[in-house]
Amino acid sequence: MKVAVVQFPGSNCDQDAVWALQMVGLKAELVWHTETHLEGFQAVLLPGGFSYGDYLRAGALAKFSPVIQEVRRLAEQGYPVVGICNGFQVLTEAGLLPGALLANTNLHFTCKEVFLRVERTDLPFTGSYKPGQVVRIPIAHGEGRYYADAKTLEALEQNRQVVFRYCPPENAPLEVSYNPNGSLNDIAGIVNQRGNVLGMMPHPERAVEEMLGSADGLPFFTSLKRALEVVA
Amino acid sequence: MKYHITLLIELKDGILDPQGRAVEGVLQGLEYPVENVRVGRVLEMELEAQSEAEARATAHQIGKALANPVMEVFLVEAVKELA
Repeated sequence: MKVAVVQFPGSNCDQDAVWALQMVGLKAELVWHTETHLEGFQAVLLPGGFSYGDYLRAGALAKFSPVIQEVRRLAEQGYPVVGICNGFQVLTEAGLLPGALLANTNLHFTCKEVFLRVERTDLPFTGSYKPGQVVRIPIAHGEGRYYADAKTLEALEQNRQVVFRYCPPENAPLEVSYNPNGSLNDIAGIVNQRGNVLGMMPHPERAVEEMLGSADGLPFFTSLKRALEVVA
Repeated sequence: MKYHITLLIELKDGILDPQGRAVEGVLQGLEYPVENVRVGRVLEMELEAQSEAEARATAHQIGKALANPVMEVFLVEAVKELA
């Protein structure tokens, strides 16, 4: 089982993603963004960072990278495709996921731990979580405000495409503000309708061992491993 | 022939523009009587085309490729023939 981790010029979470995938026993290989063949890979991960320096818009130029055709092919064939942070921005820009990620309402680049509720556990990315589980995972972005028009948003909710939602920590006072960027419906991560393409702003690969402050991201990767084993 | 193109990309109406708000706050602080400030982008380029119509059509395609229709609109603001 081999996962491709795509490197765009400006990616900077690629090595962390490889580390996290290898921690759970998956093979992970770095793939340069000009690659035109991803045969032999059973999943793709678009990592965080600043592809093309975030010029024009975050993810806007990366969507023209040659590898995206292959990412699109794998997505259409039902293989798991993950976009984390900048990877999520690339997936929305490429039209593989609906909506867009706009500048945080407060205009700050926000780097901190947030709490997320796992809304679905029937996906290749979340099978190892408990339904409704609240996890602690860091974010680090300036453009993470999820936006979609009202119709798209309603469809996302109806089809249960919201996978991770910003939420208050358990037992927190009611007035605590927990949505770090102004995302509509507190959306932190979504999937496509088929459930094999996932984008999320938080960084599970930065939370895979207690030494990093949280290991709540580890089940994300064990889920993926279990899902790929079932297919193999 | 060579043409100079000016392409504008703006956020759609109704989409919160925190950058515009920040600029608006500063301008109001300077006591300019402004409201609804929005920040967009201007792209300038030179391109080769047989005619002005062709240059405009190509500029339109470029706008389509670069703007994100989820939250942006684009406008080919000017097409000028270069001497």
